[in-house]
Amino acid sequence: MVTIEVLGTGCANCKRQMSNVEAAVKQLGITGDIVKVDDIAQIMERGVMMLPAIIIDGDLKISGRVADVPEIKKFLAGGT
Amino acid sequence: MAQQPTCTCSSTTGPAGPIRIIFPCAGQANTGQLTNLAAIQLTEEGYGNIACVALLAIGAEGLRANAKKADEVVILDGCPMLCAKKIAAEQGIIPGQHIIVTELGIVKAGSRDYTDADIEIVVSAAWEGSGRTEKLERNGKKPGQGGCGCGDSCGGSC
Repeated sequence: MVTIEVLGTGCANCKRQMSNVEAAVKQLGITGDIVKVDDIAQIMERGVMMLPAIIIDGDLKISGRVADVPEIKKFLAGGT
Repeated sequence: MAQQPTCTCSSTTGPAGPIRIIFPCAGQANTGQLTNLAAIQLTEEGYGNIACVALLAIGAEGLRANAKKADEVVILDGCPMLCAKKIAAEQGIIPGQHIIVTELGIVKAGSRDYTDADIEIVVSAAWEGSGRTEKLERNGKKPGQGGCGCGDSCGGSC
């Protein structure tokens, strides 16, 4: 099972990011553990400086903008 | 103290995000009115900046230039008449994302009634990337900026 961490502090962009991740997982029909990381200390621990961000199985895939659903599906399919 | 992460929500587009111009058709029916409301909300959420399709229709040079400079032009049409897309095409503007409200399950009706949920459907579709062209998805640039080096003289064909 893939672990997808969505990093954000709860603003509009971060909520859109979470929504897009949920849509991508649903469309792919995969089992994913989607974790919302909104604690600033935890975000800093991961070395992310621009939000929102997505980390998939420990790999930072995107930061500083909202990824759309096709883009997230590519990440989940193993792309960069 | 260590520098804190910055959120792009305080920016109109985000430092790494594309610069977008949003043209709603703003037609008189409920679906057209929805495009306008959705474009306003998208602007407030930082997705892009709403622009006037009527101004584009009269060939406003500045707006046309801005649209060509943008990373992505987003067109919101209310129905399959595709008025906004056709207006843009007349001015040589090719959308990187084109959303048609009636294709999102919203029926074009005689009344102009709408709900907040209707607006959210259109706004979500934009954020999710609905109607985005394959080319933009691949390289993050609108057609005509695909690295062909022609400086857009191809009119977006390459």
